[in-house]
Amino acid sequence: MKVLLMGHPNVGKSVVFNRFTGVDVITSNYPGTTVEYSEGSMRAEGEEVTVIDVPGTFSLEPKDKAEEVAVEMLEKEKDAVVISVVDASKIERGLYLTLEIIERGYPVVLALNMWDMAKHKGLNIDVNRLSEILGIPVVPTTAVSGEGINKLASVLKSARPVEVETISGRAGGRA
Amino acid sequence: MSLTVDERWDLIDRISRETVTVGEYKETLTDVIGEITIKPMTGIPVVIASLYLFWSIFGSFAGFFTDGFFVKFFDQYWLPWWQLHFPDTWEWLYYIVVGDPLADNCLEAFGMLTSGLFVAIGVVLPAIFIFYLMLTLLEDVGYLPRLAVLIDTILHKIGLHGYAIVPTILSLGCNVPGVAATRILETRKERFVMMTLLAIFVPCGAQLGIMQQVIPETMGLVLLYLVIGYFVTGFVLSRIIPGKSPEILMDVPPYQKPLLRNVALKIWMRMREFFTSAIPFVLLGVLMVNVLYLAGFIQWLSSTLSPLFVYWFGVPEATVGPLIAAFLRKDLAVAQLSVIEMTWYQMVTAVVLVSIYFPCLATFIMLLREGWTELLGSLAVLIVVVTVYGGFVHLVGILAGVA
Repeated sequence: MKVLLMGHPNVGKSVVFNRFTGVDVITSNYPGTTVEYSEGSMRAEGEEVTVIDVPGTFSLEPKDKAEEVAVEMLEKEKDAVVISVVDASKIERGLYLTLEIIERGYPVVLALNMWDMAKHKGLNIDVNRLSEILGIPVVPTTAVSGEGINKLASVLKSARPVEVETISGRAGGRA
Repeated sequence: MSLTVDERWDLIDRISRETVTVGEYKETLTDVIGEITIKPMTGIPVVIASLYLFWSIFGSFAGFFTDGFFVKFFDQYWLPWWQLHFPDTWEWLYYIVVGDPLADNCLEAFGMLTSGLFVAIGVVLPAIFIFYLMLTLLEDVGYLPRLAVLIDTILHKIGLHGYAIVPTILSLGCNVPGVAATRILETRKERFVMMTLLAIFVPCGAQLGIMQQVIPETMGLVLLYLVIGYFVTGFVLSRIIPGKSPEILMDVPPYQKPLLRNVALKIWMRMREFFTSAIPFVLLGVLMVNVLYLAGFIQWLSSTLSPLFVYWFGVPEATVGPLIAAFLRKDLAVAQLSVIEMTWYQMVTAVVLVSIYFPCLATFIMLLREGWTELLGSLAVLIVVVTVYGGFVHLVGILAGVA
């Protein structure tokens, strides 16, 4: 199985990657630390998983060279499971890219990273309801401390492609 | 099926209305510091203070180890031992490995095992260690994006986004990651201008370390010339290169406490890089220069280029030799310059020339990876800049009555 770590710049994809694989890629607190992809592997639920750390991108319409790499990676790895890493405190922005990836037919797992920060900011996210609406596994994580990382690895297998219409149907408000 | 942009946001809106609730937010000390360091009124003094702090720690740390320990060790024990014990059966081999048998310090000897190791380990190692330690802390705390916001207005004048400060600062450690970091700039124009400026005007940590050691009094002037050159060239390039430098919105991440593990890891990776690639290059550089001297090539090149160097740049023709070494390692070139007989202003000019002339091999390869046109363009700019700016530095010297 192949797993792509995707998300906005500076949400902690590389930290998740390091946690998963034990391979060390450079991580920093500024957007654009990763401009090329790195590959590593881990074992999850007894299966060998290849993990790819993809440069940060805001959307699937690339604006710079690092984002181009990200989109090319996604298009090349047709069978990959995508972990969409979002900054939990800016979840709406993260969901945009997540939806774009779901629309392209990829099985997605949503990692609500920087969960500690979001809580500290007084943000409350109903994880179960979110998972229900999206129809994909949603895991709160704090990658720097390792919280939620095992859970994230264990739900990879249950990721399935979802039709965006079904999501729309499940979400409340006007249709 | 895919949604339109509006439909997607609309859906997100509905999802979040159902799942996200916002509680009360209490401002913390981190937020207050975050505000202080990003508002120009307080932020700019903080930048100046940080730069000053950075610089004094860099100088005193590197000086402590280099002057306090390495200079003594290399000059009093290491060099004499090799001069005494290395077999002089083949004179040329002795010259390449140990260097000048009469030299009494490791800068003058210029052998692979004497000057090469002294420059690499005695001078550059402590300098880049402390540099990377501080850089890593700045990176991990989250200061760089704030610096970018503060400096945005100034950098826009040279056609670059404030974010260009990030590649610039990374380049002060090493130009290679600096060039890689230009990939987050949006347009080809911005990337080209940035890469060219980095390759020409930004000295790397190794070069800063050796300058600190051999020209501590005049280093400030060298850096001033480089900073002026960076802005002037950027200003000109941004006007003649076609293309756009769009505004982009930038995220400023919250300050974070650096994790010890991450800091240690990054320093380890960067130091490992230094041992595996920089040190061999320094030794190789000494080897190459010595072989070229023995073959008479450098003497020939020096006298051929003599008019350009002596009349146009106002430096002795012997400075041509270090420019050869500069192709491999700039730190080595500066070390070589330091033992050439010349006035202090000639030294300043020569060090500026070494800095702005050809990027070191590693940077060159990095530029090549970004594309042929970029590389050739950068080199064209470089040739013009070296000629014009080198002459300008000489002219300033003449006008000031010091050249």
